[in-house]
Amino acid sequence: MLDLYDKIQEACAKIRQEFSDKPKAGIILGTGLGDIVEELEVEATLDYKDIPHFLTSTATSHRGRLVCGRLAGVPVVAMEGRFHLYEGYSLKDITLPVRVFKELGAELMIVSNACGGLNPYFEAGDLMVIEDQINLLGDNPLIGINDDRLGPRFPDMCEPYDQQWIDRTIKIARERDINIHKGVFVAVAGPNLETRAEYRFLRMIGADVVGMSTVPEAIVAVHCGLKTVGLSVVTDMCLPDALKPSNVQEIIAVANEATPKLIAVVEGIIQEFNHTRMA
Amino acid sequence: MGTPSPNANSADQESQLLQQAVEFVTSKGGDQRLGNQPATAMILGSGLGGLADKISDPVVLSYEDIPGFGFSSAGGHRGELIFGSIEDSPVIAMAGRFHRYEGWSNRQITFPVRLMARLGAHQLIVSNAAGGVNPKLRVGDIVVIRDHLNFMGCCDFMGSRGLQSFSAPAGLKSVDLCSKTEPSTPAEQGKTTQPGETPQRWKPAKPREPAKHRESTKHQQVAGVCPESCVGVVRGYETYDPELSKIAFQVGVRDGFNVYPGTYLATLGPNYETRSEYRMMRRIGADVAGMSTVPEVLAGSAAGMRILGLSMVSNVANPDQPTTADHAEVLEAGIAAAVKLESIVREVLSV
Repeated sequence: MLDLYDKIQEACAKIRQEFSDKPKAGIILGTGLGDIVEELEVEATLDYKDIPHFLTSTATSHRGRLVCGRLAGVPVVAMEGRFHLYEGYSLKDITLPVRVFKELGAELMIVSNACGGLNPYFEAGDLMVIEDQINLLGDNPLIGINDDRLGPRFPDMCEPYDQQWIDRTIKIARERDINIHKGVFVAVAGPNLETRAEYRFLRMIGADVVGMSTVPEAIVAVHCGLKTVGLSVVTDMCLPDALKPSNVQEIIAVANEATPKLIAVVEGIIQEFNHTRMA
Repeated sequence: MGTPSPNANSADQESQLLQQAVEFVTSKGGDQRLGNQPATAMILGSGLGGLADKISDPVVLSYEDIPGFGFSSAGGHRGELIFGSIEDSPVIAMAGRFHRYEGWSNRQITFPVRLMARLGAHQLIVSNAAGGVNPKLRVGDIVVIRDHLNFMGCCDFMGSRGLQSFSAPAGLKSVDLCSKTEPSTPAEQGKTTQPGETPQRWKPAKPREPAKHRESTKHQQVAGVCPESCVGVVRGYETYDPELSKIAFQVGVRDGFNVYPGTYLATLGPNYETRSEYRMMRRIGADVAGMSTVPEVLAGSAAGMRILGLSMVSNVANPDQPTTADHAEVLEAGIAAAVKLESIVREVLSV
């Protein structure tokens, strides 16, 4: 754990060589949601393999580069492609980029994912702002000797996603005529999709959507003191009594279709965050 | 960080470390303090270390000096193994324990439990500070753990696979979780003793009694023959001892404080739970939640010890009205509830 501090410094040093602005926000893009980068005024692009200690992304439709630039005129860094526990990486390495966001000076993390809908009132293609989370990964990114320079030993999790920004996100979506839900995200390790019995169980314990990411990043964001907004794109409905075989291509197609809505919301959040800070 | 701890992959190495630890304790006169009576092993959790200072004629060994031990990195935890007596009953107490969130494996966490079993402990009292999940609980209440839910993840599960592979290296059939496999005879057990290993000192003075509702001599045999050959949980058998639990309830009635039976849910930690996670825990039947105890209980149970699990409710989660958890508050509540736990422990020891 104690070498993590040095790893963060080394990764940041490399990024600062290419991008000298202090980003206001760090953005993590999920499966099929990479297109948002096209909205960026790109100033620098770094392949993950060129950033010290960054992992390489192996998941489908994750490109694996850090894009630095401006979104709606606000300096941001965006991860195009993320890392997952099912790829065999440790959660400590997976969440390194979150600590890098913090060290670069970001105050906000926007994390997005493609997920399965458990709440029967949701539909494929819907957006959901994450209200709370359940960790069923069977692992935790904070295990090990705690480095007090990075955060507290026992982080409180009563508000992993900023309540004020949840409300603002809903308002931003409505202003753009986008229907957005609010709900609980549960993370499982994967990589297999869930059985029908598992979907029933996840619904029973209070989850609205299920995915294989986001929770580790949110835990680390709490640990290092980054405000987090979580956005889920429901890419397929997981209704145990009407379950169809899943199709990864279809999931990615739905994600791509929903991307413009996600982009509009992310842009709105970034703009408002910038104004709030200046006010 | 130096890790003078057993390699999780090497059963032989752990067996050697266990032997070295026994020899170390003997050289320091620790086991002499126990006399020939069966001792009680105690694990003193967050804020409950006060009991450690009330042990008579103590022999205090620092974890750093004991072969195979790690070191305790959590706030409010000491790192000492104490031999002595309370109420004229011999005890081995762990002041400070190891946690999964510190990065230790289950095998490392439970090494001291196996050491205490080897040194003659026949029962284990485990205490912890836990978050109240059941809304009836109040800060300072005592929960007697009657069962647990293991949410520590499966990657490193000492209680079943780890112990089996460790204890059954030479073709000895290990005991199945569903206890379908017959326990081996004492003669067979003898053959698998590691070369150079001294005979077990473990002699149960009060062998575990099988659950009342189930006539079974099988479990007694398993517990009595070879402490390390059985797994932590045997189906149909109560992991947490009903008789010891009863004593705890009686003390609560006698002294006028709340003692409830409950289910302990163990998480990996180190972050506290989200509101949604608390709601989940309620729905699946947890009364209290914490980040310890389950590995030690499984190891103690596997070693044939009678188990008493005590949780001190250090905060009550209200998922519908978020309040911030504070480690200092946890420690403070621990001090207040220590008196209650102490009377329970004294009563158990004087019976």
